[in-house]
Amino acid sequence: MAELTTTKLNAESHLLLDQPLLRMPHELSRRNQKNAQRYVENSTKDVLSSLTAAAKTASKRPTPDAALSSLDSIITKMQGLKRKLENLHDEEMRIHKSNRARLRHLQDLYEVQSLVDVKYDEWSRTRLSRLLVDYLLREGYSESAAHLAASQGIQELVDVDAFVACHKIEKSLREERNTSLALNWCKENSKELKKQGSMLEFELRLQQYIELVRQGHQAGVGDVDTDMDGLNGVSLDGASTGAGEEKLVEARAHAKKYLSASGDFALLGKAAGLLAYRPWDDVKPYSELYSESRWTHLAHLFLTTHHTLYSLPPRPLLHIALSAGLSALKTPACHSAYTAPTTMPLTSSSNCITSTSVCPICSTELNELARNVPYAHHSKSLVESDPVVLPNGRVYGKERLRVFCDKVGVEPGWVRDPVEGLGGMKWRENEVRKVFIM
Amino acid sequence: MAPPPPPTGMLELLEQLDVLEKSANLSASIHDVQSVIDLLTAARDKVAADPQTAPLTLAKLQDPVKRSLEQAQKDIKPIYSGLNKYGKALDKKFKDKPIPPASNDALSSHPRLVNRAISMHLLREGEFSVASTFIQEAHRHPPRPEPTASTPNPSMNDSREADLAEESFNSEKLQGQFREMYLILHELRQERNLEPAIRWARQRSDLLEARGSNLEFELCRLQFVCLFVGHGLVADDDEPMEEDPQGPLEAYKYARREFGHFRGRYAHEIQQLIGAMAYWQNVVDSPYRRYFYNNTAWEEVATSFTREFCSLLGLSADSPLYIAATAGAIALPHLLKLQNIMEKTRTEWTTQNELPVEIPLPPTYHFHSIFVCPVSKEQSTDANPPMMMPCGHVIAQESLDRISKGTRFKCPYCPMESHPRDARKVRL
Repeated sequence: MAELTTTKLNAESHLLLDQPLLRMPHELSRRNQKNAQRYVENSTKDVLSSLTAAAKTASKRPTPDAALSSLDSIITKMQGLKRKLENLHDEEMRIHKSNRARLRHLQDLYEVQSLVDVKYDEWSRTRLSRLLVDYLLREGYSESAAHLAASQGIQELVDVDAFVACHKIEKSLREERNTSLALNWCKENSKELKKQGSMLEFELRLQQYIELVRQGHQAGVGDVDTDMDGLNGVSLDGASTGAGEEKLVEARAHAKKYLSASGDFALLGKAAGLLAYRPWDDVKPYSELYSESRWTHLAHLFLTTHHTLYSLPPRPLLHIALSAGLSALKTPACHSAYTAPTTMPLTSSSNCITSTSVCPICSTELNELARNVPYAHHSKSLVESDPVVLPNGRVYGKERLRVFCDKVGVEPGWVRDPVEGLGGMKWRENEVRKVFIM
Repeated sequence: MAPPPPPTGMLELLEQLDVLEKSANLSASIHDVQSVIDLLTAARDKVAADPQTAPLTLAKLQDPVKRSLEQAQKDIKPIYSGLNKYGKALDKKFKDKPIPPASNDALSSHPRLVNRAISMHLLREGEFSVASTFIQEAHRHPPRPEPTASTPNPSMNDSREADLAEESFNSEKLQGQFREMYLILHELRQERNLEPAIRWARQRSDLLEARGSNLEFELCRLQFVCLFVGHGLVADDDEPMEEDPQGPLEAYKYARREFGHFRGRYAHEIQQLIGAMAYWQNVVDSPYRRYFYNNTAWEEVATSFTREFCSLLGLSADSPLYIAATAGAIALPHLLKLQNIMEKTRTEWTTQNELPVEIPLPPTYHFHSIFVCPVSKEQSTDANPPMMMPCGHVIAQESLDRISKGTRFKCPYCPMESHPRDARKVRL
């Protein structure tokens, strides 16, 4: 039979939530290395060809000034390269340092054997702070995230900068309806995105096309004032070249350049149809492409792509931990209409035997959140040892009831219900019965 | 001979990180680039000094520059392979530890409640300034609920939850309360000053007494002990007390002044304390030592104060967010195992409102008594409460109905017979 309670800590299986902690620095290191390689390769090509050219010029028409100035420009380039590499080197060492802190933090868990060890408690508190920072960053509360990280001294264990950069791009799509930051990001990560088979860049280009067409139609409405043929400025014979039409031509060129290679002909057909239907025509499927909600879709797509690229789970880790925890702790009593609001840990040590402590699921913070999660499975009753029942039906461990009555100063020979305290009923001791819970 | 066991924990990754930090980094390439700069500068100096040498110098420059630049490229390779090796070790380490899917996600559809829980957590942990940053930021950017399996249309509840969250989220009251708690705790722990705690407890004397809490008396007793021993509580050193009975006299005066209303409930303890007077010169060796040399006394009253303070607010003493997240981390490996089994056997989890697997938690994580009916193996609920038969055995209501069919029946656990109407509902 499975064990009902445990205090044993198996670090190896306990690290399910901690993979992203190490993935992020690794991805950042790789990116850093690739950038360095690219800089060196480009500079090499550039410098070698400049040098060859300089040598050639010098051998043909030896003018010392030309030789000096080309040498100077090569030296400047190399100094530029060195500066770039030095920056990347600083970044590289900073990432390693933070990665070391993370590995040490996880290694700390391997040194703890028991879930009731104070060290586990400390470790788990740090983990909660990490999960909270991760949640705050994902929700876009970066100020709070940075503040919490600093206050807890866990800056090396969280990725504030990476998320701030990510949210800046996400916001530029969602709120500013601007594709340029996102397209830049695509360019920086083009290789990985290709490997992933990401559609992000295509979708962004499609949006650019849609916006051009939209502008074209809208400008076309302006043109119609002078152009009364009722075709809304889109003249069929090409005689009129209003601003609207220019935009539509630009849109066509854009589509040719960026969209035609996609091979998704159904979608391209739809996109082409936009030229014929205006944003306010409200004809499906074109209205879907014109819809403002596409920006939300793009923002979402960007986040998903970004998170996949950095091996980040799609939902906050806090959600994963809490959802599991709410269920593991929840009992049918937590949302029962009859349970007294305060209950106590069953294993209260003797010095706090009479003081009550609220169950975390019954506590205000989580009670409503836990309402819809399943409660924990138990195959055996879990009650205090030597249970007795009071005339009001409440069951207590005999020892705890005795200690309570002693402490509260109930008259000898009488008992009171700890839940009701001194304000409630009192009964004679012989009315307390033994109860058998199997 | 058996191969040595692989390094445990994160040690293997740490070793590989050492390599990256110490040698496989960009410093070598930077050095190579510097040597190119040196070559170029030297050549430039030469050409400047003697313009005639320009063609030859430039021609001779080609090879060394090319070599150094190639070296710079080559020196990046170890970084590449080092990172690759590290990546492989990382994959291996987490191969059997996939990030759990957010199945059963109870939170995405209730972001306001999550935010409320977080702000309350920050307040109760004493992170007041982070909490206020967060409350402001969350106010500026209210969260967007996302649909989940159990709540496909979250915006329906959103306004109700907004009200609910608003209530305590923005409440400066809660913040004020926790500030008070931390002030009192600070006085207790750092300043060894009991006055604010005693004042707090005295104002709530009735409430605390009704709950059977000893807090007020515990605080006053500690005050007595402090006065008795002199300044502060002599905790670790066993030096004999001063010969001057001033301390005990002060304590006696304090007891006469303050212990009056404790006489009923704590007569015995007070007798003990006063009894210790007789031994004032040598309490260390007296039977009363335990009252006076208790290293943890301050921490104990601080803990008990925190618990009572939170309980009166209807909140648990330790942060629910902390307990739930920790319990979640303990539960996840079990849920993962379950999921793997379900995938293999293509079974589905049929019990909607109960987890299909038992999660073993440390005993301190059990807050309620659990009754599992020994007949039906089901947990009791409001609709199916535990019933005690006259013999004292308890089974669930539904089991009772099934076994008795409304008439006299024999207890499944003992020979005694009874009528179902004689069974009584019990509460655990």
